[in-house]
Amino acid sequence: MNFTKQSSLAAAASMAVLGALAGCNGSGGSGGGADKIKVGMIASLNGELKPWGEDSMRGAQLAVEEFNAAGGAHGQQIDLIVEDTASKPEQGKSATEKLVDQDKVVAVIGEVASGITQPSAQVCQQNQVPIMAVGATRVDVTEIGDYVFRACFTDNFQGAAMARFAYDDLHLRKVAMMTDKSQPYSTGLSDIFRKAFTSFGGQIVDEEFYEKGTIDFKAQLTNIKAKNPDGLFCSGYFNEVGPIARQTEVVGLKVPMIGGDGWDSKELIQSGGTGILGSFYSNHYSNLEDRPEVKKFVDAFTKKFGSAPATAMGALGYDATMIVLNAIKNAPSADRTAVKDAIAATKDYKGVTGTFGMGPDRNAEKPILVLKVTKDGFVPEKQIPFFKFEG
Amino acid sequence: MNWDLLPQQLVIGIQLGAIYALIALGYTMVYGVLRLINFAHGDVYMVGAYLAYYTSMQWFNRESMNPYVLLISMLVVAMVGCALLGLLIERFAYRPLRGAPRSSLLITAIGVSLLLEHGGLLVFKTAPPPSIHESVNVLAKNSLVVFGLRIDSAQLAVFVVTLILMLLLWQFVTRTKTGRAMRAVSHDFDTAALMGVDVNRIVAVTFVIGSSLAAAGGMMNATALGTPLTTFYGLIPGVKAFVAAVLGGIGNIPGAVVGGFIMGICEVLVVWAGYGGYRDAVAFVILIGILMFKPSGLFGSAAEKV
Repeated sequence: MNFTKQSSLAAAASMAVLGALAGCNGSGGSGGGADKIKVGMIASLNGELKPWGEDSMRGAQLAVEEFNAAGGAHGQQIDLIVEDTASKPEQGKSATEKLVDQDKVVAVIGEVASGITQPSAQVCQQNQVPIMAVGATRVDVTEIGDYVFRACFTDNFQGAAMARFAYDDLHLRKVAMMTDKSQPYSTGLSDIFRKAFTSFGGQIVDEEFYEKGTIDFKAQLTNIKAKNPDGLFCSGYFNEVGPIARQTEVVGLKVPMIGGDGWDSKELIQSGGTGILGSFYSNHYSNLEDRPEVKKFVDAFTKKFGSAPATAMGALGYDATMIVLNAIKNAPSADRTAVKDAIAATKDYKGVTGTFGMGPDRNAEKPILVLKVTKDGFVPEKQIPFFKFEG
Repeated sequence: MNWDLLPQQLVIGIQLGAIYALIALGYTMVYGVLRLINFAHGDVYMVGAYLAYYTSMQWFNRESMNPYVLLISMLVVAMVGCALLGLLIERFAYRPLRGAPRSSLLITAIGVSLLLEHGGLLVFKTAPPPSIHESVNVLAKNSLVVFGLRIDSAQLAVFVVTLILMLLLWQFVTRTKTGRAMRAVSHDFDTAALMGVDVNRIVAVTFVIGSSLAAAGGMMNATALGTPLTTFYGLIPGVKAFVAAVLGGIGNIPGAVVGGFIMGICEVLVVWAGYGGYRDAVAFVILIGILMFKPSGLFGSAAEKV
């Protein structure tokens, strides 16, 4: 007990010293010279989001390394300070507070999940620190304020783009939907898909619901089959979409399936069996694309970390970080408000996840990639350019 | 609501109910002999699913093996493995507490459940569902159509296996000496002991039977439905089967079976009516309903209230 108390006291004391030092640096401002410019990152390095969080951190580390090798900004190098959110919103909030108050970072990068980004973004907005979300697709994240940006597309665009693809490319007209009622991501995506698909002239013939953790979907699929749809939109996560696909075969429902970036896991193919093959879902990019930016990124990532990124968050983490670093370079000084303005002015950034700029609502205006599920993995099918769809 | 679909939905409900009934039997039998709600029972079901996975995907060569032999091996391995697990749980967690207050036993049961769910993370990784053939689930794909009703081979297998296991159980309980002893212990633990019944042996046998029935349910559900396995795989089915046992009258063996089927059918009817998002709520609505209006369950004696 005693030991713990002493050590925590010591830790508190050293924190205070560090904080004071950081404060000095902060007031030194851009004239600091040899000092490094501090950029913060929040990532889920533990907990259920670990595979995504770890990839986002590695992407960011790679970006910082390349940026520093190219000379940094304002004659200074970038120092990336990573804090773990442990896949928890409250921990994300306290990690952000630490980065903003103690480390005095110029900007914050992260998180991969909307639910963790939201409280962190509120902290950043209150303290007027720019934050660049990596994988938060929920529409209202950037509505928090003018310091909140994101490097990924929103669910508004994702739902509309898949509706476009279903209508124009797959020529579907009567689509049924399966929605996970316990996931706001799923209900939101289904709503947008419905609005977009009907506005293009298609028809939603049935919407069936389930909850996270459901394992038997035959009852829902039997209802759907009776409505004779020509396609099935599944807005949920791969944990449930796999068994749904497998059970479509059991009930004899043979229609193409489509979905969003919640499908993005190799497990989908294992649990979906032959039922998932030939389905389509939207994602941020693919390691298999032959754009030069992707090749260069995948090679550099593999060289540094031993294997190619397993999820799209590696590339998104890289792009999110690069946009922030470029903004620091382009801003008149490495000052929080100046950096915010420079991020907002980003145009035609040639990134791994596409060439894009920041829209007036601080969302990345970027293309979406439709992937096809095959026995050997997810193969790029079509890139859909950005278009505006108001939900 | 599409009335033409009702018979088809009932087939699905009966399949679901058969699995609940298998798990509910373990709850009700253990309650019968020990007056204990064995909260770790759902986790035994989870271990059964994992054993089926290891058998088909790691231990045996599913590519070169006859799929029917493989399926039967999966069932046997899961049932035997879980019978041993049940024996261990009874011996080391519950037997030392014989004679202790019922609440101590109950808390221990919750502890065992947490141990299997969280300690299981050390042993079991998130696994893909067991499959008897590379990427193709032969069993689930072949369907039988009788009078316009579609019955897939997995459903048929679930019906047949469940029926066989229940008949065996009934024969055992009513026709054998051990079965009679089990009923005696269930009727009055202390008197049975005074009459020379080896109660420890009877309790152990009860755990062996209950755990192997749950394992059969876990193996069949995991193989037929294709959900990736986690150590929390048994949580929801465990709770639902517990409600089924209470519905049938806890301690009553035929009651658990009837309760299981009612649960399965009710759930499917909710989906059929278009409220699939509220399917899990049904179990709890039923539980609240029984506790309010008939706490002893449909077939339970008035003395047993949970």
